[in-house]
Amino acid sequence: MSQPILLLRKADLEAGKVRKVDVNGCALAVYNLDGTFYATQDGCTHATASLSEGEIVDDECIACPVHDGTFHIPTGQPMSFPCEHAIRTYKVIEDGEDVLVDLDQESDAAADAI
Amino acid sequence: MCNANGDQPIRLKRRPIAQSIENLDQLLSLEQGRMSRDVFWDKDIYEQEMERIFARCWLFVAHESQIPKAGDYVSTYMGEDNVLIVRQKDGSIKGFLNTCPHRGNKVCFADLGNARQFVCNYHGWAFGIDGGLKGMHASETYEAAGMDKSEHGLHPVAHVDSYRGLIFATLDPDAPSLADYLGDMRYYLDAVFDMDEGGTEFIGGCVKSVIQCNWKYASENFVGDILHAGWTHDSGAKAMVGGPVAEVHKTPEQSYHVNFNGHGWEFNQDIVGNCATLGEKELLKYLYVLQPKVAERLGELRSKMIGAISSCTLFPNTSFLPGQNTFRTWHPRGPGQIELHTWTFVNKKAPQEIKDMWRKGTMMTFSPSGVFEMDDGENWEYSTRSNAGFVTRQQDLYLGLGHDTRVEDTDLPGNVYQGQINEANQRAFYQRWLDLMKADSWKTVPQRDVPKMKEGV
Repeated sequence: MSQPILLLRKADLEAGKVRKVDVNGCALAVYNLDGTFYATQDGCTHATASLSEGEIVDDECIACPVHDGTFHIPTGQPMSFPCEHAIRTYKVIEDGEDVLVDLDQESDAAADAI
Repeated sequence: MCNANGDQPIRLKRRPIAQSIENLDQLLSLEQGRMSRDVFWDKDIYEQEMERIFARCWLFVAHESQIPKAGDYVSTYMGEDNVLIVRQKDGSIKGFLNTCPHRGNKVCFADLGNARQFVCNYHGWAFGIDGGLKGMHASETYEAAGMDKSEHGLHPVAHVDSYRGLIFATLDPDAPSLADYLGDMRYYLDAVFDMDEGGTEFIGGCVKSVIQCNWKYASENFVGDILHAGWTHDSGAKAMVGGPVAEVHKTPEQSYHVNFNGHGWEFNQDIVGNCATLGEKELLKYLYVLQPKVAERLGELRSKMIGAISSCTLFPNTSFLPGQNTFRTWHPRGPGQIELHTWTFVNKKAPQEIKDMWRKGTMMTFSPSGVFEMDDGENWEYSTRSNAGFVTRQQDLYLGLGHDTRVEDTDLPGNVYQGQINEANQRAFYQRWLDLMKADSWKTVPQRDVPKMKEGV
């Protein structure tokens, strides 16, 4: 486990929204799903696209802004055409009002799925 | 050697330039009330209409109520050009040709809906609702080729604007403003689209049908031809209201033709005459209750137009009927065919049961199976089809009713004619048609009509 890195304050991202955060040169998409925070890679695995410019659909999926393919945010799994390859997830640690990320670990849900 | 004699072989026969295009002035003698049938049949004239009328004029493309939210869109036509009209995130409206700039496929196959993006089925080019190219399938290969995405968005429609909830667009960057284009017709449009403070909305869906007629037969009918109703629609009227169409030719003092820039409205002042053909007494009551309130806001004359015996065409191919509340565009499909798109419009603040009655009423009267639409369609089909005859086509048509009915001493905007049994609006429609067909740009289109209304009303 590496040193958790601060992503943002909880108040900075309202529920149902996604935002891009650059951490050590790594572009992450950070999500607030009904008060629970998640982080994934920001780039789509299908074509050049920033997932943080997409929309959260069906409560816990991110729809790519380019071809409208979807990924399951907690696990990173591809859900619909044309997405075939999972996006990388990251472990998010909530500490009071802070949201931190551990770049060395998958999200809990993804780890469980593996 | 097949050309051993040295003469130039004739390899291609070239069709002579169509005389009709070269001699447009010969097609119309409006002062004499005469016009050529070529305008309904000639393919070169039709092609020129696509360029000089449909790729130039402001055309109705949607009602605001069809696309309230960001990403809401309708797919419609400007001439034969398929366009997408899309509500933007900032509330503005944009339009694009519905074709992928890569290999030309349609990017949207639905008639209307809500989209986050438009993705081409062929190679996965994906466009934002602002028309910008956002990405493609196998995007790395385009990046390797150095392709600049910003140069390959959907082709934008030149201008989009709206008036009283009606959205219009033009494909010509040099077109005048919509306010200029509609001009003094806006005064009359308010009688229907601003009769109630909440404005209007479209309800139900779009009903489409194909009629084998030239688009101008439909437009000219609605621009000024109430004359046909007493004859063509006699049986339909008897079926719907139990009596013949009102004999409006006997009371010209209470009715008018008005036109401006080729748009035209023929109207009576009977408040409910059109509406009565729907056979719903509750609708008549609704209009009678509303009329005094309209009179307060818009004055006596316009309050009596809200459902009266009347019809209107906005040049070139959009028409509606007050009272019957059908709104329609006659999309050209070659010189001998139209695709008719119709909607029902109602006052937004009207009670739901009133809206439902109007929706059913328009279906009973002005839908493919409607009693009046069927009457009209057959007439227009044979008015068009008979011109296939080579000799028939050489014969003129008459369009001369109502000479000397111009009302000069009036405060009413536009060109005003006494008596709705008239062909003044039809002549103005064809004059505008000719002006546009002869002009190689908007700058050379004659400004015949002098507006009384101020620009920004």
